[in-house]
Amino acid sequence: MAVKKDYMDQKLAEKLRDRKYYAPDSNPEFLKEVEKIGQTPAHMCYQCGTCTGSCPSAPRSSYRIRLFMRKAVLGLEEEALTDPDLWLCTTCYSCTDRCPRDLAPTDTIMAMRNLAFRRDIVPRNFLQTVQLIYKSGHGVPNNDANRAARKRLGLDEEPETTHKYPEYLPGIQKILDHYRLKENADRILAEGE
Amino acid sequence: MAEVKNKEARIGVFVCHCGTNIAGTIDIEAVKEYAKTIPNVVVADNYAYMCSTPGQNKIADAIKEHNLTGVVVAACTPRLHEPTFRNATAAGGLNPFRFEMANIRDQNSWVHMHQPVEATEKAKDAVRIAVAKASLLEDLVPKSVPVEKTAMVVGGGVGGMQAALDLADAGIKTYLVEKSPTIGGRMSQLDKTFPTLDCSQCILTPKMVDVYRNENIELLTYTEVEAVEGYIGNFDVTLRKKARGVLTPKEAEARGIVGGGCTGCGDCANVCPVIKPNPFELGMAPRKAIYIYHPQVSPLIYTVDFDACVKCGLCVEACGEKKAVDLEAKDEFITVKVGTAILALGYDIFPIEKKFEFGYKNFDNVITSLEFERLICASGPTGGHLVRPSDGETPKRIAFVLCAGSRDNTDTGKPYCSRFCCMYSLKHAHQIIEKIPGAVPYIFYMDIRSFGKMYEEFYYRIQNEGAKFIRGRVANITEDPVTKNLHVNAEDTLLGRPVDLEVDMVVLAAAIQPSAETEKTRRLFGVSCSQDGWLLEAHPKLNPCGTTTAGVYLAGACQGPKDIPDTVAQAEGAASAASIPIHKGEVELEPYFAQCIEEKCAGCGMCVYQCPYQALSLVEKNGRTVMQVTEAKCKGCGTCGGFCPGGAIWMQHFASPQIIAQIDAFLLGGEQ
Repeated sequence: MAVKKDYMDQKLAEKLRDRKYYAPDSNPEFLKEVEKIGQTPAHMCYQCGTCTGSCPSAPRSSYRIRLFMRKAVLGLEEEALTDPDLWLCTTCYSCTDRCPRDLAPTDTIMAMRNLAFRRDIVPRNFLQTVQLIYKSGHGVPNNDANRAARKRLGLDEEPETTHKYPEYLPGIQKILDHYRLKENADRILAEGE
Repeated sequence: MAEVKNKEARIGVFVCHCGTNIAGTIDIEAVKEYAKTIPNVVVADNYAYMCSTPGQNKIADAIKEHNLTGVVVAACTPRLHEPTFRNATAAGGLNPFRFEMANIRDQNSWVHMHQPVEATEKAKDAVRIAVAKASLLEDLVPKSVPVEKTAMVVGGGVGGMQAALDLADAGIKTYLVEKSPTIGGRMSQLDKTFPTLDCSQCILTPKMVDVYRNENIELLTYTEVEAVEGYIGNFDVTLRKKARGVLTPKEAEARGIVGGGCTGCGDCANVCPVIKPNPFELGMAPRKAIYIYHPQVSPLIYTVDFDACVKCGLCVEACGEKKAVDLEAKDEFITVKVGTAILALGYDIFPIEKKFEFGYKNFDNVITSLEFERLICASGPTGGHLVRPSDGETPKRIAFVLCAGSRDNTDTGKPYCSRFCCMYSLKHAHQIIEKIPGAVPYIFYMDIRSFGKMYEEFYYRIQNEGAKFIRGRVANITEDPVTKNLHVNAEDTLLGRPVDLEVDMVVLAAAIQPSAETEKTRRLFGVSCSQDGWLLEAHPKLNPCGTTTAGVYLAGACQGPKDIPDTVAQAEGAASAASIPIHKGEVELEPYFAQCIEEKCAGCGMCVYQCPYQALSLVEKNGRTVMQVTEAKCKGCGTCGGFCPGGAIWMQHFASPQIIAQIDAFLLGGEQ
C-alpha cells in the first residue's frame, strides 16, 4: 500500500503522493472481466506500441491505447476507468488491424467503457449523444447546413433514416429503454447538474 | 514367431514415481496393489526413479527371482526410456523385447494433474493393457545391416559445406548436392558478418575452394534430389542433374573434347544478347542467359538459363575450340548409394510485401535487409555505394524496422523470432555510420536480442557510434509522393509518444522462413517438420542434429532460424552424428518386421501393392506362390498386416493377438 505522509497541506500532499505500483493496487478480476466482455486476450499484449503508433487520436491527445492494455494486464481498475482518455478512442480499429499479437485493443477499450458506465463514469457528451439518439435516431441529427448541402447535391433534404421515417423511432427508443440507456443517461446528467 | 503360451506368462510390474511428476497426481501404491490382482502378474513393485541404477536393478533382480517372462514398467514414454528398460530386462537374462511400457506420465499425470482419482484409474487401465501385451511378447533379435561408407549433404550453404568438409576429412566419401549453380548459399550474399565485421566472402571463399578441391567430396551443383529409397546405411538417392548447357573440363574430356570444357572465361556471356535479372543480386543487377552469379562462384562453370535462352548460338561460337556450350543438354538422372544424409536446406526471406503497412514493393525506398547487404557490398550492383532506388541519391536518415513479420501472431506473419535480425541490423547501422558521413541510423525495435558471444558488446559499440534506438514496433510507413521520402509511424514506448520520422530509406529486417525446397525434400527423406515448417529435430535439447528418421540429420537454419556460428556448430554436430553409423560399419534395425505365415498365405499379392516401402514381393516356395519380406526395407508400419484378408502376415512386436489382447484388456476391464 502506498505510504501516506502528512504534509499539512492538501495540495502538496497530492503533488507528492506515493505513486509506486503496489500489489494491492491491482485487481486481477478486472483483467478477467475486461477479457470476458472484450473477447480478446489482453494479457497477451507485449507492449510494442503498434496500437498507439497507428492511433489517429494519439498524436493530438494524451490517449495511449498501449497504456490501457498495460493497465488491464496489471489490473489497475481505478486508474483505467477514471482516466478521461478512455473516451478518446474513435473505434477506427487501426490498432486491431495491425496488432502483431492479433489482439483487438479497441475491444479492450470498449470493455472498459462498459465497466466504467456500470459505475456511472461516462463523459457528459456521450450521454447527450444517447439523448439525441433517443430523440431523433441520430447521434448527430440533421441540421440546416446539412440540409442545404444535400439540396445542392441534388439529394432529398432528409436522409433515408428516422429523419424521413419517424414512424420507426419508437423501435429505437424501445431498444434504448430495454437497456435503460436513456434512463441512466438522464439520471447521470441530472445528478451532475 | 511361435505364439507364447499365455498360461505360462509370468509378468513383473514396476511403477515409477518419477519424483512427483507421477506420484504427485497418481496413487502409486493403489496402482501397485491393483497390478498384483491382474492375471499373470507375479510381482509388483514401485520406486522413486525406475530409470536410476537401483530402479533398473530391481527389474533385473525380479526377473531372476521370480523367473519372469515379461516386464511392464509404468512410467514415462518409450521414446525417453524404452532403451533403458530394455537394457535392464536384458541384464536380468530376458530377451529385451519382452519389455512393455505403460505411459502414465506424459499421457496421464501431466495432462490430468488436477484429477488425481481419475488419473489413478486411468493408470490402472494402462498397466492392465500393458500386462496383456507383455503376456504375449516373444523373443526377437534385431537385424544388423551393413552401412554404405558414403554420405550425402543436401544444400551447399555454409552449413552444408562445413558438414561435407568434416565428413570428407573423416575419410568418408560425401556427395554435396546444391540446387543452384554455385555453392556458398546465403552467406555469400552478405557483405560483413557480426560481431567481428569480417568480410563474409573473404572467410567463405576459402571454404568454397576447400570443398571444390577435396578429393572426398563429389560436388553436384545445379542438382536436386528427385527420389529417396531405402533406410539408414543403404539409401538410394536419385538426383536430377539439371541441364546446365555447359560442360565442365571433365565432362568435355569424357566426350572426347581434348582440353575443352568451361574455363570460366566469360566470352559466352559477353556475346549473349539475352538480359535477365540476377537472382543472386535479388534482381538489382542484370545477368545474361548464360551466366555465373558472381566472380567467386565455385565451381567456376557457366550455366545456361534455358527458360531465357533463345538458342542463337553466339555463345557456342564464342566458346570456340573449348566446345563447352551444349545447347541441346537435357536433365540427367543418377542414383547414388549413401549410408547417411544431412539436410542443410537453409532459409528464404518471408515475402514481407504481405504486410501492407510496411509498403515493401509499393514504395521505392523501402528495401529488405538482404537487398541492403547487396547494396552495401563492394562487389554488389552499386559497388558498395548505398543508394536510394528512387533517385540514386545517398540516403542520410535510414530507419531499420526490426521484427518485420517476425514475432507476429497474425495470419500474415511468423510467430517465431528470426533470431539474427537484431544483430545484422546493428551491423547495418555501423556500416552506414562508417560509409556515409553524417548518416544517422534509427533502429525501431521491441527488444534487442544480443544473446551470442560478444553480441551484447557489439550492441554497446553501435550505440556508442551514434545509432538511435527507438523502442517501438513500426505501425505503418507512408511515402511522400514527391520526394519519395518515407514517414515511419510508431510509438516511442519509452516516451509514451507517437513518432512520425521522415527518413530517406527504410530497411525491413524481414522474417525468414524455410526455403522453398524444404517441404519437398523433407518428404523425400521422411523428416517431420514443426507447425511453421522448420524441420523437426529428434529432441530439441538432447538430439538437435538428429531426426526421427534414422540416418538423416539436420544442419543449419532448416531446423530453425540460426546465425552463422550456430549453423556451423550444428553442421559439425550433424557431420559427427552422420559419421558414427558409417564408422561403426553396421546398424541394428529394430526387429519390427512383417513376417509371412506361409501356410496361411494365398499368394494374392495384394500386400505387395500396399507396401509403401517396396519391401514385399511374391516368390515360389514349395510349389506355391507366397509373399516374402525384405526385412531391411520393412519399417513395420503394419499396412500389410492390417490389410491381409487371410490373416497371413505377422507383425513382429505388434502382432494381431497382442493388440487384440490389449483391446480386450481395456474393454473387458481385466475379465478374460
